[in-house]
Amino acid sequence: MTFFAKFCIPFIIGTVFLFAVVLIKYLTWLRDLPKSDLKLIIRGIPTPRTLAAVWEVVCESLLHRRIFRVNPMLGYMHMSLAFGWFLLIAVGWIETVAYLGLRWVPLQGHVFFKYFVPLNGITEHKPLFDFAMDALLLFVLSGVGLAWFKRMRSRALGMKRTTKHILFDRIALSALWCIFPVRLLAESITAAIYGGGSFLTGGIGSGLASIMSVNTLTLLYEPIWWLYSIALGTFFVAMPFSRYMHIFTEIPLIFLRHYRLKPEDKEKSYDNFEVEACSRCGICIDPCQLQLQLGINDVQSVYFLRDRRYNMLQQKIANNCLMCGRCEQTCPVGINLNTLRLNSRTSMRNIPNEGRYNYLRGLDRSQGEGQVGYFAGCMTLLTPNTMTSMQRIFEAAHEKVWWADKEGGVCCGRPLRLTGETDSAQKMVDYNKALFAKHNITTLVTSCPICLRVLRDEYNLEGIEVLHHSEYILRLMRQGRLRVRYSSELSFTYHDPCELGRGSGIYDEPRAVIEAIGQLLEPEHNRKNAFCCGSSVANTAINDAQQLTIAQHVAAELDSTGAETVVTACPQCKKAIVRGSKRQVMDLSEIVAQNLR
Amino acid sequence: MKHVIIIGGGIAGMQCACTLAEKGIATTIIEKDSDLGGKIRSWHVLFPTFTPADQVLSAVRHRLAKAESVTIKTGCEAVKITPKCVTLSTGEELTCDAVVIATGFTLFDARLKEEYGYGIYDNVVTSVDLEQMFNKGEVRLTSGLTPRRIAILHCVGSRDEKVCQRHCSKVCCVTGVKQAIELKKMFPAADVFNFYMDIRMFGPGYEEMYREAQLMHNVHFVRGRISEVSPTIDGRLQIKAEDTLTGRPLKMGIDMLVLLIGMRSNDMNPTLEAESGLKCQPSGFMQPKDSFLGNVESPIEGIFYAGAVTAPKNIGESINEGTAAALAAAEWINK
Amino acid sequence: MINFGFSISKPRTIDIDRNNLHKSNEIMHEMPELQTCIGCGTCTATCTAGNLTEFNFRKVHTLVRRGEYQGAYVEMNKCMLCGKCRLLCPRGINTRGVVMLIKRKLGDF
Repeated sequence: MTFFAKFCIPFIIGTVFLFAVVLIKYLTWLRDLPKSDLKLIIRGIPTPRTLAAVWEVVCESLLHRRIFRVNPMLGYMHMSLAFGWFLLIAVGWIETVAYLGLRWVPLQGHVFFKYFVPLNGITEHKPLFDFAMDALLLFVLSGVGLAWFKRMRSRALGMKRTTKHILFDRIALSALWCIFPVRLLAESITAAIYGGGSFLTGGIGSGLASIMSVNTLTLLYEPIWWLYSIALGTFFVAMPFSRYMHIFTEIPLIFLRHYRLKPEDKEKSYDNFEVEACSRCGICIDPCQLQLQLGINDVQSVYFLRDRRYNMLQQKIANNCLMCGRCEQTCPVGINLNTLRLNSRTSMRNIPNEGRYNYLRGLDRSQGEGQVGYFAGCMTLLTPNTMTSMQRIFEAAHEKVWWADKEGGVCCGRPLRLTGETDSAQKMVDYNKALFAKHNITTLVTSCPICLRVLRDEYNLEGIEVLHHSEYILRLMRQGRLRVRYSSELSFTYHDPCELGRGSGIYDEPRAVIEAIGQLLEPEHNRKNAFCCGSSVANTAINDAQQLTIAQHVAAELDSTGAETVVTACPQCKKAIVRGSKRQVMDLSEIVAQNLR
Repeated sequence: MKHVIIIGGGIAGMQCACTLAEKGIATTIIEKDSDLGGKIRSWHVLFPTFTPADQVLSAVRHRLAKAESVTIKTGCEAVKITPKCVTLSTGEELTCDAVVIATGFTLFDARLKEEYGYGIYDNVVTSVDLEQMFNKGEVRLTSGLTPRRIAILHCVGSRDEKVCQRHCSKVCCVTGVKQAIELKKMFPAADVFNFYMDIRMFGPGYEEMYREAQLMHNVHFVRGRISEVSPTIDGRLQIKAEDTLTGRPLKMGIDMLVLLIGMRSNDMNPTLEAESGLKCQPSGFMQPKDSFLGNVESPIEGIFYAGAVTAPKNIGESINEGTAAALAAAEWINK
Repeated sequence: MINFGFSISKPRTIDIDRNNLHKSNEIMHEMPELQTCIGCGTCTATCTAGNLTEFNFRKVHTLVRRGEYQGAYVEMNKCMLCGKCRLLCPRGINTRGVVMLIKRKLGDF
């Protein structure tokens, strides 16, 4: 048997094209990886990480565990399509092997097996195979049905908004939607003519046979298989240029991630794997507050990645993001959305300028002496309640403190980094590092989570422990150096600052401090799902009124807990929430200082 | 006898009651405080004539005392208002033939401008605190010493998007100049600096008073808004501003900072909107029927406005509106 | 160039008739709120760079609005984008956005 018919041509062209393009893409990306990344891969391959990656590929690329967690219906939809299709191919292959033994069969022979061998010789297994293949086809079709339904009524699947797609996506999507219904029809007509098939194709087949003459069926036979082949071919040709590239890309991505590759401040080849692993599922749209509270719906991560992938990214899209991390939290592919956006900004705006910030040279406005340094941060200088409260806390704990920036300091560099001027920001990092080193501190406390992020992640302060004041205060309390009064009369609610919570993973420390003073009432969105106050320094695109709208939403939710005081642990958040809240808004340090014993 | 209920016993409400009484109409004043008079009780002297506030208030009080058929209910608030009936916070329902709302304004809470250190540092006071100090006849630092250098900051809680108060409170500029003169009279050796964004001397005699402050009292005016205040090691305050006329940042140590706090719309206004069907302006102040021909009328016939409930107003304007609202209400009742 | 020890001083007048307001208009179009600046100077007062250098944010953006672009890019590069000014601006101007916009319009990127 030759396993070739003319109708296979579209399929063959599509398949060859697809594999060629994917291969070229991957090889180019791997070739362009920086040496350090290549080293990581080579070192990582002969380790258990490879096995872990394989397991994750099964869980994620086939079963879509993470989407299940976000939304079971969507999870089922993705699983039925991915896992179902995979099983169709696998079982189909076994069927071929069972019939022909282990011999080489061209790809189209496997795919169009029913066409070439409508009634195969393995009579004892045939009903079993027919049943399995029909069941799997039904499984996949249920996913396609859900996808159709989701297009029409996304809310029914728990998604308020779905992605707006580009042309290639639409072509691929249309082809994909056709593939399985056409396959069903093709196999049913085959069954109608030749018999065979199980409950699904067999059933529809005998139904068709009863209403159509054999002549009509024979007339339809070739065209329907042509159609199936064309649908497959079209999908394969469009796939590498569409969102469906994610189907393959997620696999190498999982391996690379297990080998500890990750995106950095500057764009690099590895980013391609993350960018093209985005399936544009649109799960990132719903949690985005720019969409939720301001109705902006063209800047979300899905659109950012799309624009970046097709080289049509504009600054106004790249800059319009709070970088709150709410989308990153829900991304089923686990793409490092914030870092990618950051390095896009860097590509657009970074200018190496040696002359910048030379005026910082020799500057030292710090005060006091001590092992513990306090870096208030620019924003904290505008919330003096926090400053004076910290002073009282230090005094109560008998801590000798070196005040880095009481009289005005130099920015930590994170705001500039967030806008993409990474190299220039390094000048501030270097300045502050030298300042810390000069004063021989061993602990550095900051009240600003924005500073905390960069102090921890970018400064590499050897020999200096960097703490947020919430961590520091809790430590003092646990060491018995700071004692606070507890009163069940006092009720607080807590707003998780993005940079502290999602950014630095500090959720429990501020809560522990609050619970030592009074009752803590949680708002609806807290911890990993906490809202952003809207004043994020990462966003330079929205205006004041828009920031205020977000702040009012957030404040209203905090107020609705009924707590008499809204507590937060970030000067920026405090300033924002104050604008919308009807309660008193305080920094964590303030409630501690007020309730010292 | 016809009966009008006046909500709010400040200067506008009192004036309104006097006028109505003289027209033979019975009135009931609903006042949430324990005494009539409102905010003017805290003021020392009034710009631009330096007339004691007490003198103005006493004159109105005196007239009100002589008026017949005036009932005063203190310690209670109006919850729901219709032209024919007012429901009080006590649950009591009062019937009437018309209502005048003269609930005035709420003072801006200076603690919301945290960077100015009110409630955090010693010797940061509001213009209202200063008026009360003037009334006591003593302006002292917390240390007990007399101030040698005083800064007065304009527009605290006015014209400020960051505290959602977009409007100009109108009277602070004049108050700032008046207080500067009073301080200079009290402490001739002290330096007084006014920090302003714009100086708005809108009324008769105001510009003349501004000129007098500069010419006769050597009050300094710096065009620049203070950005932040910090304590100094020697227990004073340091302020930062830009001297915008020279284009350079400016810092100075001072003994006392006076914040000219603005007039906010009354906290009760949203309740009026929700419960009584009246309308608030975007600024939060109540919306009169017409800015030219119906200044003291609400969109609901039989409900009138007087004083700062509709916009920031000075004492003279509030008294005038008390009279105007009384006349409009009387005319409506007798129609 | 030969150094004569002196130079012909440029006229100090802001000549709106001769200045090309094209870029300025573009900037105002993208950031209309910049027009609401009342020059209170809070931004400059709190500015870290402005307290250490000649940098004056208020002055630079006002000059740019008048069509005086020379030096604006270099000046704006002194800004650290720390955002204190945005937190204080009573007109709610997106000052960090203004810095970036002016640099984008008058710089190389």
